[in-house]
Amino acid sequence: MNRKTIPPYRTLDSYLLKGLPALTFWTLLILCRDGALAQTASVTTDTSSSMRATHLLGFQGAKNNAKGMLSIQDNALQFQDSGKPAVQVQVKIASVQGVFLGEQSKQVGGLPMTLGKTAAPYGGGRVVSLFAHKNYDTLTLEYVDADGGFHGAIFQLEKGQAEVFRNELVTNGAHVSETANEPAKRSTTEVVCESN
Amino acid sequence: MKATKRVSMFALAAAIVAIALASPTQPAAQTVAAKSSAGDNSFGASRWSVQVDKVDPGDVAVASSFQIAIYESLLDELSKTKQFKQVLRDGDRNAGSVSDLLILKTTVQQYTPGSETRRAVTTVSGATKLTVRSQLCTREGTVISERTINGNVRFMGSNLRATQKLAHNVAKAIKQASLPEPAHAAPVQNGQI
Repeated sequence: MNRKTIPPYRTLDSYLLKGLPALTFWTLLILCRDGALAQTASVTTDTSSSMRATHLLGFQGAKNNAKGMLSIQDNALQFQDSGKPAVQVQVKIASVQGVFLGEQSKQVGGLPMTLGKTAAPYGGGRVVSLFAHKNYDTLTLEYVDADGGFHGAIFQLEKGQAEVFRNELVTNGAHVSETANEPAKRSTTEVVCESN
Repeated sequence: MKATKRVSMFALAAAIVAIALASPTQPAAQTVAAKSSAGDNSFGASRWSVQVDKVDPGDVAVASSFQIAIYESLLDELSKTKQFKQVLRDGDRNAGSVSDLLILKTTVQQYTPGSETRRAVTTVSGATKLTVRSQLCTREGTVISERTINGNVRFMGSNLRATQKLAHNVAKAIKQASLPEPAHAAPVQNGQI
């Protein structure tokens, strides 16, 4: 009832967009540029040679299914277990003979989630399972120890990180054969293969 | 009357104590006997060492992660059985100096990559299945034991769990097989698990 009518030329939008278009334009441009720079910086940080990983099996000295940091330091591949006590295991990159990428889809939530889904009535757990999965990258390494013994290790990384890490390994001198560039989706395809 | 009762109670208590003291010795003796007999049975096997070869994918397109997982799980499971003096890796230079060495060769025959999500949603589909031919050979190439072994994940767990089950079955089959004395090799034993 007692509202005052503000003329369109007095509103903030009209002031910014109509009153001083050039100033607004340059301000927005500068802000966008700063944002872009910040994004670039964060991307640079992400591509560093240290990333969170889960050791699934094989890396000598590390526990199976241990979470930690996988990194490259002083020409050595290093896995630092974040558990207690923190364990650090490393292998020389020169001894790495093969690096393979893969992809796998896993149900999230672990055992508590599985039990919850089982207990849900009217098959509600199945519907939850349909959405409660996440895709991960797997990084498979083949390396030899001091005695020439062949080792294999499998790490699980966030999606998209395995390829970045493999490139880091190659840059640091890891030997990667041509067969290492196998299709990532092979492990998820549903085919029956039989030998003769 | 009271004295007789007291004596009989004392005798009963003494008898109970005597039985209690005597009874643990019998099972202990049994355990010792069982241990020694088991030792006699596995005498031939415990003199062998085993070298695990890399998994041969054969004509089957098996993901590298599965090949590695089978290989590493086999090493784990064979070490757990404590059936062999040493469990060596493929390419280990120390194998040259080991006198009684068996070589475990694993060839993939069938592989069905499953899906954890499909298993969780449908229960009846999405199983991961692995079938391998496992051969235990001497250094000269004589096949001592040959079996076809399966490892599957049908309900819960990740796809890689199939490799652990497979390796467990392989180790179990080797444990059940009667290995000859290192000096002379026995005929081939075939079977399926």
